[in-house]
Amino acid sequence: MIEAISHTLSTQGWWIVSRSSAMVAFVLVTISVFLGLTMAGKPLRDPGFTKAVRAVHEQTALAALVAIGVHIVAVLADPWLQPGVAGVAIPFVLGLNRFWNGIGVIAAYLAFLLGLSFYLRRHIGAKRWRIAHRATIAVYVLGLFHALGAGTDTGSLPFLLFAAVTAVPIAILFVYRLGAGRRAGERRRLAVRARRRDAARGALLENP
Amino acid sequence: MNTPRPRAVVIGSLSLFIALFVVLTFELSASASTSAGKAQATRKARPAPAETKTDAEPEAPAAEYLEPEAEYVEPEPEPEVEYVEPEVEEAPPVVTSSS
Repeated sequence: MIEAISHTLSTQGWWIVSRSSAMVAFVLVTISVFLGLTMAGKPLRDPGFTKAVRAVHEQTALAALVAIGVHIVAVLADPWLQPGVAGVAIPFVLGLNRFWNGIGVIAAYLAFLLGLSFYLRRHIGAKRWRIAHRATIAVYVLGLFHALGAGTDTGSLPFLLFAAVTAVPIAILFVYRLGAGRRAGERRRLAVRARRRDAARGALLENP
Repeated sequence: MNTPRPRAVVIGSLSLFIALFVVLTFELSASASTSAGKAQATRKARPAPAETKTDAEPEAPAAEYLEPEAEYVEPEPEPEVEYVEPEVEEAPPVVTSSS
């Protein structure tokens, strides 16, 4: 058995690292997106709890970036696959599962860009950053499709259960967030209209 | 509520990674140790590069093998033709008249 393990590790070690890191990355991205949507929809009222959720959201996002990095390095080092730098850096270049791996490359770029943009929001501007950060859901969706299309272990029951159990609340929270954003916009418009009306009425009373 | 430390996330992620690594290594080693499992694992996980590395065009259905009907017959050597030097007629000298 030890001989078999040693043989497996020497021939397929990078592949195992790639599969393990991919699953860890997917779990972390799922948790991070779930927590982000939970905060953005403002269903939580307790500020202390929101602060804690924000901290875990950030930590899981950073850990997910590390796991994605490990996944990329392991895929690059896999002697069977031999994707080359272009295969992992340019979408739709890798021949194996071209489409699903292509969207995986796009998801990785989005994850790094949108994830690390948090630390550049002073330069980007808070409003712009917030608009860009809304696209983070695309990382989860593309990652899910990349896993389902190209993943080796995505047919396994634990993965399918995890994906199904987490995808439903994430979809619900996303729809809730869209609704919350629309409601907030509507409230802002009504407030502006009320202020203008009050100002006009005040002016009319002062100069009848 | 206290802000959670990143240590929990780091330890959780590493634990999950190690657990998955160990499970996958044992799974692959176990399937590789049995011949039937080896074949199944290879087929399921790592298909031959030619099958999947490129988006191969669908292959045409294999034609049924047919035994060649005619036996091979050695071609008869062609009769050698003696080389005959072509006769060259001597052309009469061209006379040009000058005025």
